[in-house]
Amino acid sequence: MVNTLAPEPTGRAPVPRSAGASGSAGGGSGRIRHRHRHRQAVVACLFLAPTLLFYVVFLALPLGFALLLSLSRWAGFDLGDIEPAGLDNFAGLFADGSTFLVPVLSNTLLFALGTVALALAGSVLVATCIEKLRRQGLWRTLYFLPILTTVVAVGNVWKYMYEPGGLVNGVLNALGLGSVAFLQDADTALPSLVVVQAWASLGSAILVLTAGLKSVPESYYEAAALDGAGPVTVFWRITLPLLRPSLLFVCVTQFLTGLQSFALIIVMTGGGPGDATDVAALEMYRQAFSYGEWGTASAAAFVLFLVVLAVTLAQLWFFRRKGEDA
Amino acid sequence: MKGTRRVTGRRVPWLSYLVVVTGAVLTVVPFLDMVMTSFKGPGEAGTLPYRFLPKAFDLSNYRAAMDQLDLPLLFRNSVVATAVITGSVLLTSSLAGYALAKLRFPGRDLVFRLVLATMMFPPFLFFVPRFLILVHWPLAGGNDLFGRGGAGLTVSIVALAMPFLVNGFGIFLMRQFMVAIPDEVLEAARIDGAGEFAVWWRIVVPQTKPVLVTLGLLTFVDAWNEYIWALLVSTAHPEVMTLPVGIQLLQDHVDPARTTPIVMAGLVLSVLPVLVLFLLLQKHYVRGVMLSGLK
Repeated sequence: MVNTLAPEPTGRAPVPRSAGASGSAGGGSGRIRHRHRHRQAVVACLFLAPTLLFYVVFLALPLGFALLLSLSRWAGFDLGDIEPAGLDNFAGLFADGSTFLVPVLSNTLLFALGTVALALAGSVLVATCIEKLRRQGLWRTLYFLPILTTVVAVGNVWKYMYEPGGLVNGVLNALGLGSVAFLQDADTALPSLVVVQAWASLGSAILVLTAGLKSVPESYYEAAALDGAGPVTVFWRITLPLLRPSLLFVCVTQFLTGLQSFALIIVMTGGGPGDATDVAALEMYRQAFSYGEWGTASAAAFVLFLVVLAVTLAQLWFFRRKGEDA
Repeated sequence: MKGTRRVTGRRVPWLSYLVVVTGAVLTVVPFLDMVMTSFKGPGEAGTLPYRFLPKAFDLSNYRAAMDQLDLPLLFRNSVVATAVITGSVLLTSSLAGYALAKLRFPGRDLVFRLVLATMMFPPFLFFVPRFLILVHWPLAGGNDLFGRGGAGLTVSIVALAMPFLVNGFGIFLMRQFMVAIPDEVLEAARIDGAGEFAVWWRIVVPQTKPVLVTLGLLTFVDAWNEYIWALLVSTAHPEVMTLPVGIQLLQDHVDPARTTPIVMAGLVLSVLPVLVLFLLLQKHYVRGVMLSGLK
């Protein structure tokens, strides 16, 4: 996930640590403090060593390696066979006849946008309604179940429910409607996946919105009640505007998650039928591990990374600006 | 708060109940369907007309799932990987968080910014290169010094855990909570002659126990449910397969008329441990999601 709302490191001015020593002892304290500080630096190095080592081996090195691969031609196996290829891999992604822009990237965006819209609408509705009930914790717990479940379970259960003999079509048939081939029909496959992804992320969105709702001062509602405002007016005029930061947060995090996720799609459709549900991260995965096109895969990963980065920066910029307004 | 709400809406909020209950039913029904299907007999699942309840509560699918899968192996791999990841994340987050919150050294702000920056990189960017790095790990799994000739670390259970051993969010979370510990407390311990390690272990760790529980739970659930990386590592080396990967593979093996119920039985078995843990430690987990919502 992406850090944005993090309370900024306060950047406090370095306060002398050994207050007792520095206050009274004059000349000698300098050396004590110096030794003290030196010891702290050594300890800090030790405490940070595992973390920094990890970042070198599993973050910096892979990033460099991925960048190298994206600019190379390589059949796998021997590292000595990596040949420079310039920007060929990137050019290939956007060449005529490449499916990367349409439908892969467009699917990715549709999937992310659809998830956001559905999860947002659902979580606002449910979160505001839960606020009015008793036993709020119990209700929120129920909505939480999907988050605890492995994507393999979520994907398979829904895949089965979407089948002709599954629960969803069972309900449709009971209502006198015809069956729908949700995952087999190219037109309905992607929206069907969007529903599942939104279903699975509803619980955490509700929690974030609940935190937002709890921070709305009670006096606002009292004042509105005195003025005779109905529940609908209160919702549109008070709740929704004051909930805006939480809403925005849910929007952005869901959007970023939607852009990146492909585990659910691997489990449910594998990108099919055809390439109706192929998304960028899945395409990257398949280029690498199914076709051995390591260069193309790495190039695709970087293109998607740029999209993600652009969204992240736009969000940072937006929150910064809002912070200055306040 | 509750009092005033009741003044504004003295009636029972029927509409709200309707919305919340409908949503809750939609949330829970897939799980119930999973459980019900896991009991269905041959030809009973996926046939028309759809029936929610099984004809009989038959445990044979559970037995079949256990026969098909090497469950002890899968459980062992999942447990080991999850335990290693959770332990490592807690340890490294606490140590690094302490250094960043309470120790003074040159470059501290830089390191903290670096940790924050690591959270900006999406995981998909690393699948390919991390996998290749593990394959070409020197002097492991038959590799020579230059990482050639063998399968590297991908043959080892270590590979399952490796990319998840350190968590930028965990470090950030621990640091934010440790900043709140008063310096005087630590200073007093130092004057009493405690070394930095003792200060961390005897004062800081006990004080941050609730956050550790929360972070541990979040990490545990994520690690237990992880699918893509485990799939990648175990495709070539089934001996490091985890539960989610194994259950996904059930589809390819079993007799078609019974596939779905057997898969569902396997899923129930894999979901159960997390569910139990969640019900026991619900408050901590919910708090964790709230906190990660703030990141």
